[in-house]
Amino acid sequence: MIARDEASVWRRQPDGEETDMLTLNINGKDCEVNVPEDMPLLWVLRDVLGMTGTKFGCGIAQCGVCTVHVDGQPIRSCIMPVVAVRGKKIMTIEAVGQTPTGANVQKAWLDLEVVQCGYCQSGQIMCAAALLAATPHPNDADIDAAMAGTICRCGTYTRIRAAIKRATQPS
Amino acid sequence: MKRSGYTNLFVLLMAIIIGDVNGCIFHPHGPMDFAGGTQVVLADYQGSDPTGAPPEVAGAGLVARGEYLARAADCIGCHTTPLGKQFAGGLAFKLPVGTLYSTNITPDKETGIGEWTDNEFVTAMHDGVGRNGTRLYPAFPYSAYTLLTRNDVLAIKAYLFSLKPVHAMPPENDMSFPFNQRYLMRFWNALYNPAQRYQPNIDRAPTWNRGAYLTEALGHCGECHTPRTLLQGLDANKKFEGAMIEGWKAYNMTSDQRSGIGNWSDEQLENYLSTGHAEGRSTAAGPMSLVLNNSLRFLTKDDIRAMAEYLKTVPPLHNQADLAVAQKRVSATPSEARARSPRGPSPNDEDLGLRVFEGACASCHDWDGSGVHSPYADLTGNRTVNDPSGVNMTQVILQGASLQTRQGEMFMPAFGTGYSNTEISAVVNYVTGLFGVSPSTMTPDQVAEQRKKK
Repeated sequence: MIARDEASVWRRQPDGEETDMLTLNINGKDCEVNVPEDMPLLWVLRDVLGMTGTKFGCGIAQCGVCTVHVDGQPIRSCIMPVVAVRGKKIMTIEAVGQTPTGANVQKAWLDLEVVQCGYCQSGQIMCAAALLAATPHPNDADIDAAMAGTICRCGTYTRIRAAIKRATQPS
Repeated sequence: MKRSGYTNLFVLLMAIIIGDVNGCIFHPHGPMDFAGGTQVVLADYQGSDPTGAPPEVAGAGLVARGEYLARAADCIGCHTTPLGKQFAGGLAFKLPVGTLYSTNITPDKETGIGEWTDNEFVTAMHDGVGRNGTRLYPAFPYSAYTLLTRNDVLAIKAYLFSLKPVHAMPPENDMSFPFNQRYLMRFWNALYNPAQRYQPNIDRAPTWNRGAYLTEALGHCGECHTPRTLLQGLDANKKFEGAMIEGWKAYNMTSDQRSGIGNWSDEQLENYLSTGHAEGRSTAAGPMSLVLNNSLRFLTKDDIRAMAEYLKTVPPLHNQADLAVAQKRVSATPSEARARSPRGPSPNDEDLGLRVFEGACASCHDWDGSGVHSPYADLTGNRTVNDPSGVNMTQVILQGASLQTRQGEMFMPAFGTGYSNTEISAVVNYVTGLFGVSPSTMTPDQVAEQRKKK
C-alpha cells in the first residue's frame, strides 16, 4: 500500500475521522458542534446535544420516527448529513409546541389520547405539524400522502387521523 | 437464454470456420477506429503521453502508479466477492454456456499470482494466455487490456504484488462442452482480440487520446455498454449502444441525443463519471454504482474530463424504444400529484402504486421528485424513470443502491424483501408515469423474473 500523504493527492475517499466546527440553528438558537460533516443530523441531536425527544427507528429513512423540520419541511434526520442543514432552521419536537400549529397538534393529541406506546409519536407530531402548516385544511388524501411514511406499530393511525382533523378546528 | 448442445456445437463449428477465415483475411476491429484519422504507434506520437498514471501520481513510485491504474481498470470489481477478501477472486459469472469464477490475483504463491513472472503477467493481460499456456476466458477483458503499455501492466502487477497474499482457491469453472475446451479461445481471439498496444490518433487532441486510453484500455466500458455478438464478442457496429448486464440495463452512452449522452453538458457528464450523479440527468445504481465506488471516483479531474471528451465523440446510435427524457418538475403538492396519477396497465395499479409511493418513496424523493435529503434522490430527467421498460427502476427498488461520495454514503434501501411483486410492479409503473414521459408496463411476473437475475 502507498503512504497516506502520497495517496491524498488524488484520493477522494471521505475521511470519517476528520471533524469540523459547524454552526447549526436549532429551535431558534445557534449552537456549535464539532462533528464529522457526514454525521447524520439525528446523531448530532441525540448523542452530541442530548436532545433525545427525536427517536431513532430504522436508520434508513423508512419509518419516520426521527422526523424534524428543516426550513419547515419534514425530513428524516437519520440519513440527513449534518453539513447539509448548516445555515438552515432546524426545529425538533422539543420546540414545535411553541408554534401555533404545533401547539394545536399537541393539544389535539392529548385531547384524543392518540398515544399508545409513544415511541413513534414525536415523528407523527412533526409530520402532522408540517402538513398543517402547509395545508391548513387537509382532506383524507392529503393526510395519507403526508403521514403514510411514518409508521406506528401500535396502530394508532385512526386516532392520528382524527387528531389531525381536530387540530384544524378552532379551539 | 438456454442453448441446446447441438446449438452449442453449431456455434463452435462456426467459430472455428470464421476464426480460420478471419485469421487470413480480417483483422479485429480496433475500438477507436470510428474516429478516422491516423493512428500511430506510441513511440512515434508527438503529443503528451496518453498512457500511464496522471501527473498527480507520476512521481509517487511504481506501486502508487499501479494502484491508480488498477483502480482505473477496476480489477477489484471482478476479482472480489461482495463479502470476500479484496482481490481474492471467486466472483461467479453466469453465462449462457456455464459459470466462470474470477481468479485470486493476490500474490499468494499457491492460489494467487505470487509465482507469476513479469512476462507471464503481461501475456495474460495482452493475449489472454495464462501460465503454462492456459487460454483464459474473455470474461477477463484482455481484449481491452491488450491496449495497455507494458509499463502500465507491470505497474499494475507491482501494485498487486504489494498486497497481502490471501490463500483462497476460487471454485472450479463449470462450463458446458464445448466451451470448456479452452484452446477454442484461439479462434475467439482471432475475431475479437486486437492484440496490439494502444495507438494514439494524431488527428485528435492529446486529451482525447488520454480519454480513449482511459475508456478503452483501462476502463473497458464497452464490456457492459456494447451489445455482444452470438460468439460473445463485442459488436463493433453497436459500440456503446447499451446492453443488459446482470438484469440491469447498461444504458446507451453514445452521443445520440435521445438514447445516449448527446444532450448532456460537459459538466453533467464529468459529474456523473466522478460522483455517480449528474443533476437533471441520472444517478448511478446497480453494476455502475460499483464501478463508481471501486474505480471512477478515484480518477483525477483531468482524467475524468478526458473520458468525457472522448465519450462525446462516439457516433450516435439510436434505440427505437427510447423516448425523449422528461426534464420537467412535476406538481409539488400531494393533491396535485394525486390528480395527475398515471394510469397503469391494470386499473389496480394506480391506487396501489400511489399507496406504495406515499408510504415508501415520498419521504425521500418527495412528491415533486426533487429529493428531500440529497440531490442524489432527484428523479427529474433521470433516465431510469424515463425508461419505458422499467427494468432498472425495478432493479433499484428490489436491490437498493449505494454510492460512496465525499459527503459519505448515499444510499437507497432495498425494498425487494418487504414488498410483493404486485406492489413493486405497481409502484414502478406509477413512478415512471408520474416522473417520466410515459408509464412503464411492468407486470408482477416480470418482477419475479427480475428477482432471479443477479
